[in-house]
Amino acid sequence: MPRNLTRRTFLQTAAAAPLLAQSGQPKRLAIIATIFRLQSHAQHIGDRFIVGYPFAGEWHKPNTQVVSLYVDQKPAGDLSEERAKQFGFKVYPTVAEAVCCGGSKLAVDAVLIIGEHGEYPTNEKGQILYPRYEFFEQVTKVFESEGRSVPVYNDKHLSYSFEKARTMRDTSRKLKFPMLAGSSLPVTWRLPELELPLGCQIEDALMVGSGGSDPMDFHALEAMQCMLERRKGGERGVKSVQLIEGDAVWQAGEQGRWSKELLRSALSRSDNLKGASVTDGRTQDMVGTGVLPQIVKNPWAYFIEYRDGVKATLLMLTAAVGDFTFAAKIAGKPGIQSTQFFLSPDPNVTYSACLANKIEQMIQTGVAPYPVERTLLVSGILESCLDSRIKGHARLETPHLAVAYQAPHESQYCRI
Amino acid sequence: MAGTRPKLAAITTVYRKYSHTQHIVDRYVEGYGWNGTHHHPEMDLISLYVDQVGPDDLSRDRAARFPTMKIYPTIAEALTSGTGKLAVDGVVLVGEHGDYPKTPKGQVQYPRYRFFEEIVSVFRSSGRSVPVFNDKHLSWNWEWARKMYDTSKEMGFAFMAGSSLAVTWRIPSVEFPSGAKVREALCICYGGVDSYDFHGLETLQCMVERRNGGETGVKWLQAYRGDKFWDAYRDNVWPHDLMTAALCRSHTLKPARVGFNDIFPTADEMRRIAKDPVAYRYEHADGLKCTMLLMNGLVSDFNFAASIDGMSKPFSTQMYLPMPDGRTTLANFFSPLSYNMEKMFLTGKPTYPVERTLLTTGLTAAGVDSLYAGQTRIETPHLAIRYQPAAASTFWRT
Repeated sequence: MPRNLTRRTFLQTAAAAPLLAQSGQPKRLAIIATIFRLQSHAQHIGDRFIVGYPFAGEWHKPNTQVVSLYVDQKPAGDLSEERAKQFGFKVYPTVAEAVCCGGSKLAVDAVLIIGEHGEYPTNEKGQILYPRYEFFEQVTKVFESEGRSVPVYNDKHLSYSFEKARTMRDTSRKLKFPMLAGSSLPVTWRLPELELPLGCQIEDALMVGSGGSDPMDFHALEAMQCMLERRKGGERGVKSVQLIEGDAVWQAGEQGRWSKELLRSALSRSDNLKGASVTDGRTQDMVGTGVLPQIVKNPWAYFIEYRDGVKATLLMLTAAVGDFTFAAKIAGKPGIQSTQFFLSPDPNVTYSACLANKIEQMIQTGVAPYPVERTLLVSGILESCLDSRIKGHARLETPHLAVAYQAPHESQYCRI
Repeated sequence: MAGTRPKLAAITTVYRKYSHTQHIVDRYVEGYGWNGTHHHPEMDLISLYVDQVGPDDLSRDRAARFPTMKIYPTIAEALTSGTGKLAVDGVVLVGEHGDYPKTPKGQVQYPRYRFFEEIVSVFRSSGRSVPVFNDKHLSWNWEWARKMYDTSKEMGFAFMAGSSLAVTWRIPSVEFPSGAKVREALCICYGGVDSYDFHGLETLQCMVERRNGGETGVKWLQAYRGDKFWDAYRDNVWPHDLMTAALCRSHTLKPARVGFNDIFPTADEMRRIAKDPVAYRYEHADGLKCTMLLMNGLVSDFNFAASIDGMSKPFSTQMYLPMPDGRTTLANFFSPLSYNMEKMFLTGKPTYPVERTLLTTGLTAAGVDSLYAGQTRIETPHLAIRYQPAAASTFWRT
């Protein structure tokens, strides 16, 4: 039997889930959310800790108990009161009351901040002003007054504003609590299973994403970052960014600013090509046929130049693809390494179970399985790219993005 | 053939959007994403036969765009390119989709056997045979399927068949441990009788054939449907722990309660959700018992679980089909199927044994027979099919 099969079999049987405490008192959780309705992030992720989730071939019931919920808005379809009633917890009118369970002292073992979805204004950069920072401030105010902190998970990017995001990270350091953030993309299954070797030399990298800006480009940037951070020397931050749009994207490709070879490889991993594939089901070599400019009228290219000289590009090609794929050229490795970040179907969105397991790991062990600096950096990259866009697509130096960190030694994406 | 590109003929029922022919033949003419690039097979599909040409036909469009692929009015002409003698180095037989009559038992009479007979007739008259790939099961009719298999052996040509379930991605990406001792195996999937049941059976068989001693054949099969399915479930006719494991591999589990997006159903909820469920329960000659469950409404994917000696919990995975149902546009599970065919056409050797599909063809027919005979147990001495699995794994991992 090939060696890796033995290893896989072992993984399935012996180490199906990280060694998470299943005995002892359940960890008490507060969920601080913008909204809680069906298919909102708070419902997806919160319910994993209420009714369990599929993981490693079992219905896994975390040893946790949701004891309080705060919702900022109660739109039509709100489920917060219904859920609270059914599962014996309370919806509190303020964030502070939620983390204190209505009392005067911190009364939970961990906090989940899920500030995605809901009606919030949009700024001039097109960012939705979700109040994640404000939620975080109210949570940590309780920590400070108490002189005691508990682990915090923040869904998606820390804030639309890098300054606010950095303050959040700094506060978590100052108050010494573990903090995990980000989306499911870095931890979902990959088709095929691809991890870049830790310490590899990346010659070029390209991510292809789909969907609108702010909700979806964060996912794409974070997926790209979880690959790039494994490069030689570790992450040292970003030197400059530029976001361009429209025909300029294709011209940049012609000029070799992004690699067509990498794009072909990334698209070869897609299960969801548009254009003729929609019309009559055919497979397509969209790079070879040159059809992309006809299909994608408004492509966006995000150019990221890291402080160590490595360059990476995100192409948002919504009209041409419907999934998230990545390709890179690694020094000393023949060919191109490429994969798809697998987003499983609605409504189960089982990829969020992969994320729930990482959150659970932090709650049970007190150690975040991967550094919050990844999400901090991506929050800043996204904001600066949108700044570039409103400043005439100019290249912007980003000295504030000198965010350094080491990628986790162990791969964190789902293989079980 | 060394140094030359093999020439292929495709013999098909219909060529319309999302038909098996479109998925397979398109991959030869258009190329497809494989191993991180847009792969063009090292061979030329030069002739095409299409049995039914309807208003939604794509074969004419494809032939116009790829003039090296010519359409012929008969199978013999497709195989001989009109020369009177076999003029291709391999044949792709795709007899799925199209309007064909049903048997009294409800089987669609896809003309795979007729196509096959016409193909081997050309082989005989030309005094030469070439490799043949048959998509899905060999025939709805067991006797004909057996004859197809026997003919391939008598004439000595490479013969491969089956479903993409055996070769597609697995989530997680795991292989059934070679030589493992397995007591029970189960697949939960969806679809109809004499249709996706075959895919569920291939899902099971591509795994359990790797067990200790290899495949020994099947002794009997019993089908359960509707109320009898739930009676059998209640009586623990098949193991509930494997059902749980398989359902926990699904990405399409119907939420059993309003307001939830992913919640494990109770038995009562499963009964409410799954419409007219079907089970095929069967025993292999070496004692292994397998169960294939069609649970429409509850899931729409293919999930496998097995009890393997020495493992503390069920071994399980999903055979992942990126089904073009709105969420994807490309049925890319046909890519590993096409790639395995290509390997046979290049080497003259099947990458996995056709006996697998001979057995699953017989199991599909036995399932239909059992249902037709009032869900009685069918003895299957004709399925004493022994074979050894391919040494190498052939599912999609690259």
